[in-house]
Amino acid sequence: MSTTVVATRVGRELSAICGADHIAEAPPERILGCAPSVSVRPGSAEEIAAILRFANENGLSVVPAGGFTQQQGGKTPAQIDVLLYTTRLTAVEHYDAADLTVGIGAGCKVAQLCSTIAKDGLLFAADPPLWELATIGGLLATGMTGPRRHGYGGLRDYCIGIRFVTGDGRLGKGGGRVVKNVAGYDMMKLLIGSQGTLGIITGASFKLFPSPRQTRTFVAVFSTAAEALDFRHRILRSPLDPVCLELVSPEAHKLLVPASPAGAWWSICLRATGSDAVLARYRAELGSALAREMEGENEVGFWRKAADFVPLACEHDPDSLLISFAAPLQDVQPVLATVEEIAGTHGFSLAAIGRVGVGHLLVSLSAAVGRQLTKTDFIATVSALRDRLPPDASMTVLHCPPEACDAISQLRTPTHLDSMRAVKRALDPKDILNRGRFLF
Amino acid sequence: MSLSSAITELHSIAGHDAVLDRPEDLMLYEYDAGVRKSTPGAVVFPQTAQQISAIMRVASAARIPVVARGAGTGLSGGAISQAGGIVIAFSRMNRILEVDVDNQCAVVQPGVVNLQLSERVAHLGLYFAPDPSSQKACTIGGNVAENSGGPHTLLHGVTVNHVTGVEVVLPSGEIVQYGGKAADSYGYDMTGFFVGSECTIGITTAITVKLLRKPEAIATLLGIFETVDDAARTVSAITAAGITPAALEMLDGWTLRTIEAFCHAGFPLDAGAVLLIELEGLREAVEEQAIAVREVCLNQKAREVRRAKDEDERALLWKGRKMAFAALGRVSPSYYTQDGVVPRSKIPGVLQHIGDTAKKYNLIIGNVFHAGDGNLHPLILFDMRDADQFERVLCASRDILQYCIDVGGSITGEHGVGMEKRDMMCQLFTNEELDVMASLRNQFNGDEILNPEKMLPTPRMCREISGASRNPVLAQEGM
Repeated sequence: MSTTVVATRVGRELSAICGADHIAEAPPERILGCAPSVSVRPGSAEEIAAILRFANENGLSVVPAGGFTQQQGGKTPAQIDVLLYTTRLTAVEHYDAADLTVGIGAGCKVAQLCSTIAKDGLLFAADPPLWELATIGGLLATGMTGPRRHGYGGLRDYCIGIRFVTGDGRLGKGGGRVVKNVAGYDMMKLLIGSQGTLGIITGASFKLFPSPRQTRTFVAVFSTAAEALDFRHRILRSPLDPVCLELVSPEAHKLLVPASPAGAWWSICLRATGSDAVLARYRAELGSALAREMEGENEVGFWRKAADFVPLACEHDPDSLLISFAAPLQDVQPVLATVEEIAGTHGFSLAAIGRVGVGHLLVSLSAAVGRQLTKTDFIATVSALRDRLPPDASMTVLHCPPEACDAISQLRTPTHLDSMRAVKRALDPKDILNRGRFLF
Repeated sequence: MSLSSAITELHSIAGHDAVLDRPEDLMLYEYDAGVRKSTPGAVVFPQTAQQISAIMRVASAARIPVVARGAGTGLSGGAISQAGGIVIAFSRMNRILEVDVDNQCAVVQPGVVNLQLSERVAHLGLYFAPDPSSQKACTIGGNVAENSGGPHTLLHGVTVNHVTGVEVVLPSGEIVQYGGKAADSYGYDMTGFFVGSECTIGITTAITVKLLRKPEAIATLLGIFETVDDAARTVSAITAAGITPAALEMLDGWTLRTIEAFCHAGFPLDAGAVLLIELEGLREAVEEQAIAVREVCLNQKAREVRRAKDEDERALLWKGRKMAFAALGRVSPSYYTQDGVVPRSKIPGVLQHIGDTAKKYNLIIGNVFHAGDGNLHPLILFDMRDADQFERVLCASRDILQYCIDVGGSITGEHGVGMEKRDMMCQLFTNEELDVMASLRNQFNGDEILNPEKMLPTPRMCREISGASRNPVLAQEGM
């Protein structure tokens, strides 16, 4: 059977489920160069379940999609039969400002949700890259967080309920709409960061936070990463409780603030919330370490750029290698030193940023000036980093030049891989979702 | 293999002094802090993960069900064995394996008592945040199985928010690691999935927990109200004012008078209800919030707002709160408590409903609960010898949980589903949603050797229940 014939039959089946208006055959999107046969925009969880049951019966591969901001990760899929968008699922499922919770469809854009609740003085704590495009479903599936991860916790801490369709087409649910709930398995934890390999998220509920009435960002600068990380440790041992605590390397600073004068400083940026008295206390505690302050639009713009580090780095150099690390606090410095050393050996220049107060580090490696890199350099670099990663740390490759991405192992984690495979078997036994992209 | 030959094997695995099988010894392990009972066939006290692995292999071969047990303080029957099953008791795995100050974490064996960990690291300025009322007795292994909470979870989250890694013995006997000392790890979050799985996926044998730095300043306020309703409305008024207290507890008049007679915590005897409100953080921020909270309380018709002037006064107020359950022992032979949850804005309505339910079934119901989270603890008094009364207690408790479900809440906020609320899972989840959960359990524990007949109902239970028992009052109101 030729591809065209299959696509037509699939197209007809999907039209019967969601209506022909919501189907596109041979759509223009590409995922690492791979062309989907058909894209579909179902209007409900039930329609998604019907599509996935059909996919199971026919062994089709399905790639879930939202705002298409994180689709360039993973390996090149051999084939994509169905590209399934959740962008029509945008309904507010529940919202009462007095409860400080909201339930929202997976297709709602993060920025849209933020503006809906901002009028009530509330804050949605996740600040992922490209928030105007990123959807709630994609945010959860990729587990992407931003600088606020430091003070507000991660998605696993404030996602209180999730609705999804399993790979084999069953309607699943975890949690609910209340902030404290231990009834049944915590399905939120499994779906968050699952890269769309277990189920298609259709909606979720979140704990919200009161918006701070005033914020200020304090910047301290250092000549080495080690000094900056020592300073981080001093902050963590102090009574200060900033909402953001970000390490920014000299190269990363150039990416975020291209107009600023070049300097070889490593900075720690602290974002504090509170009254004038609280901010005065920060100044007193930081003392001579404080180099400058940011406020107003300048401050907001800086943090938005920091959240957008990954897309900024990719835009700057489409052939860059982007890796995310999550390490115990004291392993951040050795991990960074290892990255610097290996990058130097292979001719990469390094930009690093991260929520180092919770052990997060994002690095972007691109060809140093005058260097021509080969596929082997990328493969050897990733493999050396994996080998030298401390035992409790994990890493994942977020972006890699297409010619190298199929030859590297993206993930390293201390967690038992066979248990993850058991979870995959339970929810997507026929490996329908994101087949061949995210392997353990 | 029979139970008696399995017991012989247990002796050779764990040692001759590490197995109980005489009826008079087993009686001590037939109950928890709830109301159900079931006598195990043997209790074994292993000291290593390898021994637990060997025990799981013996139990699987003999097809004898197994359950892990910490201190037995649970309220939902989670640690109660099947009749004739094997209880793995953790009293010999109670060591703090490592305190890692620089990484702000500790690695503990499951039998470590919750409060002991905080006491052990207090001199370093650190503590373990989850603080169930039973924290002087309950174990961290039990906290992990049930995903326990406590008053201070309002700001800091429940157990799962403080566990970054677990070593687990799977029902197959395999010993595996999920996560570690890092706050997050990439790939599926098996640690987060495991916490709160009520011993249906595996048995944890080492737990990595976060340690928090003690706050610089703490303010503890007691808001005194003429009526329960005024206090209930104050709860969402405080959060609406942009303040997230570390703890926000409510005690109704009947309960605080009962406590006061027992331990003299300084609660006013003539109040309709009190709110115990704790703020913590930077000195400057806490002072400002204390002023703001006082103002909110007074605006909501508080009669008075007191502030603990020192650590002793603070400790006394908390002693009163944490001794609530013990105080009831003086006025009633038994009590039954549930931990349904409602959205914060529904607290006034649910307290009204609890009052009506008490009248309907002619029972005394006190309320002492985590108001800031909407996590109720109606305490229903009864005498086990009065079978008719006990039946009314169970009906009242169901009515209350059904109300919680109908207003968008849950049947349990921190105690777990266990045996007692298994059938109510059918009201909270569809058959298909429960089937998704069961398919996960079956990958790990397909023969249900580990803690069978807990948490997830059977499809048959749901068929029998479906359609029945929607709350008639709410149905009329169209909720």
